[in-house]
Amino acid sequence: MPMYGDLGNKLVQHAKRTQNLTHLPSYQTELVRSVTREVRDLDRDVASLLEPFQGSFDPAAEQATACTLLVNHLSMRRNKRCLLAYHRTRTDKLEELVWNGADLLDLAGQQVAGTNGVTGANDGGTTSSLSPQEEDYVRQYSDLLAAYKGHWTDIDLTGSLEPPKDLFIDVRVLKDAGEIQTEYGAINLTKNSQFYVRQGDVERLIAQGYLQRLG
Amino acid sequence: MSYYDIDSILTDAEKIPCTFQLDVPDLGYLDNNSGQTLKNGTRIALPLWLAEMLAIANTGDADEGKSFISFDLPPALGNDVVQALKADPRAVPLRDQSAHFYALATHMMDLSEEPELGSVLRKTFVTRAGEIALHARKVGGSAGGKGGASEEGSNLGVGGAGEEFLRGLDEWERSLFRKAHDGAKAGKEWMDNVKK
Repeated sequence: MPMYGDLGNKLVQHAKRTQNLTHLPSYQTELVRSVTREVRDLDRDVASLLEPFQGSFDPAAEQATACTLLVNHLSMRRNKRCLLAYHRTRTDKLEELVWNGADLLDLAGQQVAGTNGVTGANDGGTTSSLSPQEEDYVRQYSDLLAAYKGHWTDIDLTGSLEPPKDLFIDVRVLKDAGEIQTEYGAINLTKNSQFYVRQGDVERLIAQGYLQRLG
Repeated sequence: MSYYDIDSILTDAEKIPCTFQLDVPDLGYLDNNSGQTLKNGTRIALPLWLAEMLAIANTGDADEGKSFISFDLPPALGNDVVQALKADPRAVPLRDQSAHFYALATHMMDLSEEPELGSVLRKTFVTRAGEIALHARKVGGSAGGKGGASEEGSNLGVGGAGEEFLRGLDEWERSLFRKAHDGAKAGKEWMDNVKK
Protein backbone atom coordinates (compact mmCIF):
# COMPACT_ATOMS: atom_id res chain seq x y z
CA MET A 1 0.00 0.00 0.00
CA PRO A 2 1.66 3.25 -1.05
CA MET A 3 1.49 5.75 1.77
CA TYR A 4 2.54 9.32 2.30
CA GLY A 5 6.20 9.37 3.24
CA ASP A 6 7.09 6.14 1.41
CA LEU A 7 8.82 8.00 -1.41
CA GLY A 8 10.73 10.14 1.04
CA ASN A 9 11.92 6.96 2.69
CA LYS A 10 13.23 5.70 -0.63
CA LEU A 11 15.21 8.92 -0.94
CA VAL A 12 16.76 8.42 2.48
CA GLN A 13 17.70 4.86 1.58
CA HIS A 14 19.54 6.31 -1.43
CA ALA A 15 21.32 8.66 0.97
CA LYS A 16 22.25 5.75 3.22
CA ARG A 17 23.85 3.97 0.27
CA THR A 18 25.62 7.16 -0.81
CA GLN A 19 27.32 7.43 2.60
CA ASN A 20 29.22 4.21 1.97
CA LEU A 21 30.32 5.00 -1.59
CA THR A 22 33.46 6.78 -2.69
CA HIS A 23 31.76 8.41 -5.65
CA LEU A 24 28.45 10.21 -5.91
CA PRO A 25 25.58 8.27 -7.54
CA SER A 26 23.30 10.16 -9.90
CA TYR A 27 20.82 12.66 -8.55
CA GLN A 28 17.31 11.24 -8.11
CA THR A 29 15.55 13.99 -10.04
CA GLU A 30 12.34 12.03 -10.52
CA LEU A 31 12.09 10.92 -6.89
CA VAL A 32 12.77 14.40 -5.54
CA ARG A 33 10.11 15.78 -7.85
CA SER A 34 7.58 13.16 -6.69
CA VAL A 35 8.22 13.92 -3.04
CA THR A 36 7.80 17.67 -3.53
CA ARG A 37 4.65 16.99 -5.53
CA GLU A 38 3.36 14.93 -2.61
CA VAL A 39 3.97 17.87 -0.28
CA ARG A 40 2.05 20.18 -2.61
CA ASP A 41 -0.85 17.70 -2.76
CA LEU A 42 -0.94 17.46 1.02
CA ASP A 43 -0.86 21.23 1.36
CA ARG A 44 -3.79 21.51 -1.04
CA ASP A 45 -5.70 18.93 1.03
CA VAL A 46 -5.08 20.90 4.19
CA ALA A 47 -6.27 24.11 2.54
CA SER A 48 -9.48 22.50 1.28
CA LEU A 49 -10.12 20.84 4.65
CA LEU A 50 -9.83 24.15 6.44
CA GLU A 51 -11.75 26.19 3.91
CA PRO A 52 -15.28 25.61 5.29
CA PHE A 53 -14.19 26.82 8.73
CA GLN A 54 -13.21 30.29 7.57
CA GLY A 55 -10.35 30.57 10.01
CA SER A 56 -12.29 29.59 13.12
CA PHE A 57 -11.34 25.95 13.40
CA ASP A 58 -11.88 24.33 16.80
CA PRO A 59 -9.91 21.05 17.13
CA ALA A 60 -11.97 19.89 20.13
CA ALA A 61 -15.22 20.13 18.22
CA GLU A 62 -13.91 18.57 15.02
CA GLN A 63 -11.70 15.77 16.23
CA ALA A 64 -11.76 13.70 13.05
CA THR A 65 -10.74 16.68 10.95
CA ALA A 66 -8.09 17.63 13.48
CA CYS A 67 -6.69 14.11 13.21
CA THR A 68 -6.60 14.24 9.41
CA LEU A 69 -4.91 17.63 9.53
CA LEU A 70 -2.31 16.32 11.93
CA VAL A 71 -1.59 13.31 9.71
CA ASN A 72 -1.21 15.58 6.69
CA HIS A 73 1.00 17.97 8.57
CA LEU A 74 3.22 15.19 9.89
CA SER A 75 3.53 13.70 6.41
CA MET A 76 4.68 17.04 5.02
CA ARG A 77 7.14 17.47 7.85
CA ARG A 78 8.47 13.95 7.29
CA ASN A 79 8.94 14.61 3.58
CA LYS A 80 10.75 17.83 4.33
CA ARG A 81 13.15 16.04 6.64
CA CYS A 82 13.79 13.31 4.05
CA LEU A 83 14.44 15.85 1.30
CA LEU A 84 16.78 17.94 3.44
CA ALA A 85 18.70 14.92 4.69
CA TYR A 86 19.10 13.56 1.17
CA HIS A 87 20.50 16.82 -0.15
CA ARG A 88 22.68 17.38 2.89
CA THR A 89 24.24 13.92 2.50
CA ARG A 90 25.08 14.79 -1.08
CA THR A 91 26.50 18.24 -0.38
CA ASP A 92 28.62 16.77 2.43
CA LYS A 93 29.99 14.31 -0.09
CA LEU A 94 30.55 17.04 -2.66
CA GLU A 95 32.47 19.18 -0.17
CA GLU A 96 34.63 16.21 0.70
CA LEU A 97 35.34 15.60 -2.98
CA VAL A 98 36.20 19.26 -3.56
CA TRP A 99 38.63 19.18 -0.63
CA ASN A 100 40.18 16.10 -2.19
CA GLY A 101 40.92 18.11 -5.28
CA ALA A 102 38.12 17.08 -7.61
CA ASP A 103 36.86 19.83 -9.88
CA LEU A 104 33.52 20.23 -11.51
CA LEU A 105 34.56 18.57 -14.74
CA ASP A 106 35.72 15.44 -12.91
CA LEU A 107 32.47 15.24 -10.98
CA ALA A 108 30.17 15.98 -13.86
CA GLY A 109 32.06 13.71 -16.19
CA GLN A 110 32.05 10.76 -13.81
CA GLN A 111 28.74 9.39 -14.95
CA VAL A 112 29.50 9.76 -18.65
CA ALA A 113 32.69 7.78 -18.32
CA GLY A 114 31.14 5.24 -15.97
CA THR A 115 27.81 3.82 -17.03
CA ASN A 116 27.34 5.41 -20.43
CA GLY A 117 30.81 4.82 -21.71
CA VAL A 118 29.70 2.06 -24.07
CA THR A 119 26.48 3.52 -25.39
CA GLY A 120 28.29 6.63 -26.47
CA ALA A 121 27.53 10.26 -26.02
CA ASN A 122 24.01 10.29 -27.42
CA ASP A 123 22.77 12.57 -24.63
CA GLY A 124 25.72 14.89 -24.88
CA GLY A 125 26.49 16.60 -21.58
CA THR A 126 23.19 15.91 -19.84
CA THR A 127 24.37 12.72 -18.13
CA SER A 128 26.04 14.42 -15.17
CA SER A 129 25.39 12.73 -11.84
CA LEU A 130 24.86 16.14 -10.27
CA SER A 131 21.76 18.27 -10.44
CA PRO A 132 22.24 21.74 -11.95
CA GLN A 133 21.95 23.22 -8.45
CA GLU A 134 24.62 20.87 -7.17
CA GLU A 135 26.94 21.86 -10.01
CA ASP A 136 26.43 25.44 -8.99
CA TYR A 137 27.15 24.53 -5.38
CA VAL A 138 30.40 22.79 -6.33
CA ARG A 139 31.45 25.77 -8.44
CA GLN A 140 30.86 28.26 -5.66
CA TYR A 141 32.30 26.02 -2.97
CA SER A 142 35.45 25.54 -5.03
CA ASP A 143 35.73 29.32 -5.36
CA LEU A 144 35.33 29.73 -1.62
CA LEU A 145 37.93 27.10 -0.93
CA ALA A 146 40.34 28.71 -3.37
CA ALA A 147 39.83 32.10 -1.74
CA TYR A 148 40.36 30.57 1.70
CA LYS A 149 43.54 28.84 0.59
CA GLY A 150 44.74 32.12 -0.92
CA HIS A 151 45.50 33.44 2.58
CA TRP A 152 48.16 30.83 3.14
CA THR A 153 49.99 30.79 -0.14
CA ASP A 154 52.91 28.79 1.19
CA ILE A 155 50.83 25.96 2.57
CA ASP A 156 48.80 23.57 0.47
CA LEU A 157 45.82 22.99 2.73
CA THR A 158 44.58 20.11 0.62
CA GLY A 159 47.98 18.46 0.50
CA SER A 160 48.71 15.12 2.10
CA LEU A 161 49.14 15.04 5.88
CA GLU A 162 51.72 12.29 5.57
CA PRO A 163 55.26 13.64 5.64
CA PRO A 164 57.01 12.47 2.45
CA LYS A 165 59.70 9.82 2.90
CA ASP A 166 61.71 11.09 -0.04
CA LEU A 167 61.96 14.60 -1.30
CA PHE A 168 62.41 13.44 -4.87
CA ILE A 169 60.49 10.74 -6.69
CA ASP A 170 60.42 9.05 -10.09
CA VAL A 171 57.30 9.69 -12.13
CA ARG A 172 56.05 8.62 -15.52
CA VAL A 173 53.83 10.92 -17.57
CA LEU A 174 50.50 9.30 -18.52
CA LYS A 175 48.91 12.26 -20.27
CA ASP A 176 50.46 15.33 -21.83
CA ALA A 177 50.39 18.03 -19.18
CA GLY A 178 52.42 20.75 -20.85
CA GLU A 179 55.22 22.63 -19.21
CA ILE A 180 55.46 23.12 -15.45
CA GLN A 181 57.72 25.46 -13.50
CA THR A 182 59.82 24.10 -10.65
CA GLU A 183 62.57 25.77 -8.70
CA TYR A 184 65.05 23.77 -10.77
CA GLY A 185 63.66 25.15 -14.01
CA ALA A 186 60.89 24.19 -16.41
CA ILE A 187 60.01 20.60 -17.25
CA ASN A 188 58.02 19.67 -20.31
CA LEU A 189 55.71 16.79 -19.42
CA THR A 190 55.11 14.82 -22.59
CA LYS A 191 53.39 11.46 -22.59
CA ASN A 192 55.48 8.39 -21.70
CA SER A 193 58.50 10.39 -20.59
CA GLN A 194 60.02 9.81 -17.15
CA PHE A 195 61.36 12.31 -14.62
CA TYR A 196 63.04 12.53 -11.25
CA VAL A 197 61.32 15.48 -9.62
CA ARG A 198 60.54 17.02 -6.29
CA GLN A 199 57.40 15.41 -4.87
CA GLY A 200 55.87 18.71 -3.80
CA ASP A 201 55.99 20.03 -7.35
CA VAL A 202 53.96 17.23 -8.88
CA GLU A 203 51.61 16.05 -6.13
CA ARG A 204 48.68 17.80 -7.76
CA LEU A 205 49.38 16.25 -11.14
CA ILE A 206 49.57 12.77 -9.61
CA ALA A 207 46.22 13.30 -7.89
CA GLN A 208 44.73 14.43 -11.18
CA GLY A 209 46.02 11.38 -13.00
CA TYR A 210 48.54 13.06 -15.29
CA LEU A 211 51.52 11.42 -13.64
CA GLN A 212 52.15 8.01 -12.18
CA ARG A 213 54.53 7.52 -9.33
CA LEU A 214 57.16 4.86 -9.86
CA GLY A 215 58.91 2.67 -7.31
CA MET B 1 20.45 12.10 17.10
CA SER B 2 20.56 14.91 14.62
CA TYR B 3 17.78 16.14 12.35
CA TYR B 4 19.88 15.14 9.35
CA ASP B 5 20.97 11.76 10.73
CA ILE B 6 20.13 9.15 8.11
CA ASP B 7 19.92 6.24 10.54
CA SER B 8 17.66 8.21 12.83
CA ILE B 9 15.34 8.95 9.90
CA LEU B 10 15.28 5.29 8.94
CA THR B 11 14.54 4.33 12.54
CA ASP B 12 11.53 6.64 12.44
CA ALA B 13 10.22 4.60 9.51
CA GLU B 14 9.92 1.46 11.66
CA LYS B 15 6.30 0.53 12.13
CA ILE B 16 4.53 -0.07 15.41
CA PRO B 17 1.04 -1.47 15.98
CA CYS B 18 -1.52 1.26 16.68
CA THR B 19 -5.23 1.37 17.47
CA PHE B 20 -7.35 4.32 16.45
CA GLN B 21 -9.50 5.82 19.18
CA LEU B 22 -11.98 7.65 16.98
CA ASP B 23 -13.69 7.51 13.59
CA VAL B 24 -11.88 9.48 10.92
CA PRO B 25 -13.70 9.76 7.57
CA ASP B 26 -10.69 10.85 5.49
CA LEU B 27 -8.03 8.44 6.66
CA GLY B 28 -9.37 5.17 5.25
CA TYR B 29 -6.33 4.98 2.96
CA LEU B 30 -4.14 4.21 5.97
CA ASP B 31 -5.99 0.90 6.27
CA ASN B 32 -5.90 0.25 2.53
CA ASN B 33 -9.52 1.38 2.24
CA SER B 34 -9.39 4.61 0.32
CA GLY B 35 -12.63 6.55 0.54
CA GLN B 36 -13.92 4.58 3.55
CA THR B 37 -14.14 5.83 7.09
CA LEU B 38 -11.38 4.69 9.39
CA LYS B 39 -13.32 3.18 12.30
CA ASN B 40 -12.69 3.60 16.00
CA GLY B 41 -10.73 0.56 17.16
CA THR B 42 -9.04 -0.20 13.83
CA ARG B 43 -5.59 -1.73 14.30
CA ILE B 44 -2.91 -0.57 11.84
CA ALA B 45 0.87 -0.59 11.81
CA LEU B 46 2.01 3.01 11.48
CA PRO B 47 5.56 4.34 11.09
CA LEU B 48 7.01 5.91 14.23
CA TRP B 49 7.14 9.41 12.77
CA LEU B 50 3.38 9.32 12.42
CA ALA B 51 2.44 7.22 15.42
CA GLU B 52 4.50 9.18 17.93
CA MET B 53 2.80 12.52 17.43
CA LEU B 54 -0.65 11.00 17.02
CA ALA B 55 -0.23 9.23 20.34
CA ILE B 56 1.10 12.30 22.14
CA ALA B 57 -1.20 14.91 20.64
CA ASN B 58 -4.22 15.72 22.70
CA THR B 59 -7.54 15.65 20.88
CA GLY B 60 -8.44 18.93 22.48
CA ASP B 61 -11.00 17.23 24.69
CA ALA B 62 -9.97 18.79 27.98
CA ASP B 63 -12.12 16.46 30.12
CA GLU B 64 -10.90 13.13 28.82
CA GLY B 65 -7.43 14.04 27.64
CA LYS B 66 -7.39 11.06 25.32
CA SER B 67 -5.24 10.84 22.20
CA PHE B 68 -6.04 9.91 18.61
CA ILE B 69 -4.40 6.52 18.87
CA SER B 70 -3.01 4.09 21.39
CA PHE B 71 -0.03 1.93 20.54
CA ASP B 72 1.66 -1.28 21.59
CA LEU B 73 5.25 -2.42 21.52
CA PRO B 74 6.27 -3.65 18.07
CA PRO B 75 6.78 -7.42 17.68
CA ALA B 76 10.54 -6.77 17.59
CA LEU B 77 10.32 -5.89 21.29
CA GLY B 78 7.60 -8.39 22.12
CA ASN B 79 7.61 -10.94 24.90
CA ASP B 80 9.09 -13.71 22.73
CA VAL B 81 12.11 -11.65 21.84
CA VAL B 82 12.62 -10.41 25.40
CA GLN B 83 12.47 -13.99 26.74
CA ALA B 84 14.96 -15.14 24.11
CA LEU B 85 17.29 -12.26 25.02
CA LYS B 86 17.07 -13.21 28.66
CA ALA B 87 18.05 -16.77 27.85
CA ASP B 88 21.05 -15.91 25.67
CA PRO B 89 21.59 -12.49 24.11
CA ARG B 90 24.13 -13.86 21.66
CA ALA B 91 21.72 -16.35 20.13
CA VAL B 92 19.23 -13.75 18.87
CA PRO B 93 19.80 -12.23 15.42
CA LEU B 94 18.67 -8.70 16.29
CA ARG B 95 18.78 -7.66 12.68
CA ASP B 96 15.90 -10.00 11.84
CA GLN B 97 13.79 -8.12 14.39
CA SER B 98 14.77 -4.67 13.20
CA ALA B 99 17.78 -3.19 11.42
CA HIS B 100 17.70 -0.41 14.01
CA PHE B 101 16.87 -2.56 17.00
CA TYR B 102 18.40 -0.49 19.80
CA ALA B 103 17.33 2.84 18.32
CA LEU B 104 13.78 1.55 18.02
CA ALA B 105 13.86 0.20 21.56
CA THR B 106 15.16 3.43 23.12
CA HIS B 107 12.56 5.37 21.18
CA MET B 108 9.81 3.11 22.47
CA MET B 109 11.06 3.45 26.03
CA ASP B 110 10.80 7.22 25.71
CA LEU B 111 7.18 6.80 24.73
CA SER B 112 6.05 4.31 27.34
CA GLU B 113 7.07 2.88 30.67
CA GLU B 114 8.96 -0.36 30.17
CA PRO B 115 11.12 -0.82 33.25
CA GLU B 116 12.08 -4.40 32.48
CA LEU B 117 12.97 -3.82 28.84
CA GLY B 118 15.67 -1.34 29.77
CA SER B 119 17.61 -3.72 31.96
CA VAL B 120 17.23 -6.62 29.51
CA LEU B 121 18.58 -4.46 26.70
CA ARG B 122 21.45 -3.19 28.78
CA LYS B 123 22.52 -6.74 29.58
CA THR B 124 22.03 -7.73 25.95
CA PHE B 125 24.25 -4.96 24.68
CA VAL B 126 27.03 -5.57 27.18
CA THR B 127 27.10 -9.30 26.46
CA ARG B 128 27.00 -8.84 22.72
CA ALA B 129 29.53 -5.99 22.71
CA GLY B 130 32.14 -8.32 24.23
CA GLU B 131 31.42 -10.89 21.57
CA ILE B 132 31.61 -8.24 18.85
CA ALA B 133 34.96 -6.99 20.11
CA LEU B 134 36.25 -10.56 20.10
CA HIS B 135 35.23 -11.13 16.49
CA ALA B 136 36.49 -7.73 15.37
CA ARG B 137 39.94 -8.43 16.78
CA LYS B 138 40.09 -11.86 15.19
CA VAL B 139 39.31 -10.40 11.78
CA GLY B 140 41.84 -7.64 12.29
CA GLY B 141 44.51 -10.27 12.82
CA SER B 142 43.76 -12.69 10.03
CA ALA B 143 42.65 -10.23 7.39
CA GLY B 144 45.87 -8.23 7.68
CA GLY B 145 47.01 -9.56 4.33
CA LYS B 146 43.95 -8.22 2.59
CA GLY B 147 45.39 -4.77 3.03
CA GLY B 148 43.10 -1.82 2.54
CA ALA B 149 39.99 -3.81 1.70
CA SER B 150 37.33 -1.56 3.16
CA GLU B 151 34.50 -2.98 5.21
CA GLU B 152 31.47 -1.18 3.92
CA GLY B 153 27.72 -1.57 4.28
CA SER B 154 26.45 -5.10 4.53
CA ASN B 155 29.63 -6.63 3.23
CA LEU B 156 31.50 -7.23 6.44
CA GLY B 157 33.71 -9.74 4.72
CA VAL B 158 34.03 -12.33 7.47
CA GLY B 159 33.84 -16.08 7.35
CA GLY B 160 33.80 -19.01 9.72
CA ALA B 161 31.92 -19.59 12.93
CA GLY B 162 31.19 -15.95 13.74
CA GLU B 163 29.42 -15.31 10.47
CA GLU B 164 25.99 -16.24 11.77
CA PHE B 165 26.35 -13.98 14.80
CA LEU B 166 27.74 -11.05 12.82
CA ARG B 167 24.97 -11.28 10.27
CA GLY B 168 22.49 -10.67 13.09
CA LEU B 169 24.01 -7.37 14.25
CA ASP B 170 21.82 -4.31 14.08
CA GLU B 171 23.10 -1.05 12.57
CA TRP B 172 24.51 0.28 15.83
CA GLU B 173 26.36 -2.95 16.57
CA ARG B 174 27.66 -3.00 13.03
CA SER B 175 29.20 0.41 13.42
CA LEU B 176 30.71 -0.78 16.70
CA PHE B 177 32.13 -3.81 14.93
CA ARG B 178 33.54 -1.68 12.13
CA LYS B 179 35.19 0.70 14.59
CA ALA B 180 36.68 -2.12 16.65
CA HIS B 181 37.89 -3.80 13.51
CA ASP B 182 39.43 -0.65 12.04
CA GLY B 183 41.01 0.14 15.38
CA ALA B 184 42.62 -3.29 15.65
CA LYS B 185 43.86 -3.02 12.08
CA ALA B 186 45.28 0.48 12.53
CA GLY B 187 46.99 -0.62 15.74
CA LYS B 188 48.58 -3.56 13.98
CA GLU B 189 49.74 -1.39 11.10
CA TRP B 190 51.31 1.06 13.50
CA MET B 191 53.13 -1.71 15.35
CA ASP B 192 54.47 -3.07 12.07
CA ASN B 193 55.81 0.35 11.15
CA VAL B 194 57.48 0.80 14.49
CA LYS B 195 59.40 -2.43 14.12
CA LYS B 196 61.01 -1.31 10.85
